[in-house]
Amino acid sequence: MVLRIRLSRFGNKHNPFYNIVVAQARSARGAKPLEVIGTYNPVPKQPTNLYDENANARAFKEVALDRSRTKYWLGVGAQPSDPVWKLLSMAGLVEPKPITHNKA
Amino acid sequence: MPPRIQSRRVSNTLLPYLSSSSSSPASHSSLLPSRQFSSTPAQQTKLRREMFAWLNTTGATLKHHVPGETNYVTGVVRNVMSDGGSKLPFPNNPTFFSETVLSEELRNEIYARVTQQKKSIRAVSVDMGIDMNRVAAVVRLVELEKRQRAQGKPLALPYARAIHEMVPVTPLSQDGERQTYHEPINDLPAHPSTGAQIFYPVPESRKFTRVDAGRVFSGAPAMDHETAAKISHPSDLAEGIMEKPNSIEWVGKGDNARQVLQPADVRIPHPQLVNFEIDRINEPLARRERAERQAQRIKKQDELEQKRRERAQARREDRTTKVEPADSRFEYHFHDTVVSKETTGPHGKGHLAPGRRYGVPSEDRKRGIIKIPTRVGA
Repeated sequence: MVLRIRLSRFGNKHNPFYNIVVAQARSARGAKPLEVIGTYNPVPKQPTNLYDENANARAFKEVALDRSRTKYWLGVGAQPSDPVWKLLSMAGLVEPKPITHNKA
Repeated sequence: MPPRIQSRRVSNTLLPYLSSSSSSPASHSSLLPSRQFSSTPAQQTKLRREMFAWLNTTGATLKHHVPGETNYVTGVVRNVMSDGGSKLPFPNNPTFFSETVLSEELRNEIYARVTQQKKSIRAVSVDMGIDMNRVAAVVRLVELEKRQRAQGKPLALPYARAIHEMVPVTPLSQDGERQTYHEPINDLPAHPSTGAQIFYPVPESRKFTRVDAGRVFSGAPAMDHETAAKISHPSDLAEGIMEKPNSIEWVGKGDNARQVLQPADVRIPHPQLVNFEIDRINEPLARRERAERQAQRIKKQDELEQKRRERAQARREDRTTKVEPADSRFEYHFHDTVVSKETTGPHGKGHLAPGRRYGVPSEDRKRGIIKIPTRVGA
């Protein structure tokens, strides 16, 4: 069966938080995965405005990832889902997916 | 069923009483909204009558505050209006009292010392007798206030002025006077592991100090005689631990691993004040020397802390990769984590592993779980 690297949602209502997990493709989102390899917090954090150098800083999103485990799971054929692919390509672990559509 | 006739002003009936003090409560019945179906005047209960009688006589003094004095009921009840008034807002609760706040001049002085005279927060804290966290907060807030003024944002100045007139205030000392201490600066919360009542027999011939007590509380074996003989006073340990915080011994295994509890002399915010006091007792005459030595101690500690902060920051940045995608409004911070047998543990629920846990209930709604931020990020 296909292994997938995908997100599983934790957190409360209106306050999402994701574990980046390796799981069987057909298992439920909330089911216990094979392994948790990281986390992704989609709620952007604003740098404090106490310092002048932060005045034009961009808001940031935090991702925690175990690179070596990710490489291993990619090596044995685990397929990242699209959102995870986006994160992994930013981390430099996979090639970015080609854009198949044009933004209007 | 016909609609019930209601007077719209009925919820405001109390307000005209409270806003006027001169007239007696009996005359207020005419101010009440007229009752359409009744000619009898509104009934006053005995308690309400007594309340208004009090408000018009004894309580009338509370209507206007005297600048520099508190305006609490306790002051009227106990008749202490001199010397800044009573500090107790509630007459029946003597354990609750108003803490003093920093005066405008004092906070401006703190800001000037830290930003213009470039004194360290520790030195300012010791000079002024203000907790280091408070000094840091004052600097941040004054900075914020200055920025708001520069941006032309409105400030609640009349409110601040009125509050400062009505609460006890720590003033800035005049030139040549000694600054009154705002609060105790070397306090330490009781450590949870000291709560246990332990029966620990010690031979009379053995010297048993705070250092040994800390070891007993954390379940560490007793020190060997040579190490113990080197420590003449518990505060001797402070400097070594300041330089190498990792030198504190660990006991226990796995999830139960903990550091040996250090004596209070090490854990207090200003350990150098202990040495200062020891100096004062040993050499009561050499004042200038003592002050110099103290300044050096503070300087050394500040330098060590600065170095440690920089190291921690460098380590944090080392672990983080920042990515700024061209097509996104956001920056992405990638932290490295480790998934291994050591972090996840044999049952897979170890708290060192990344991610929210499976099969462990979320505790965020439990009592005592602090959700407000407790530190200021960069």
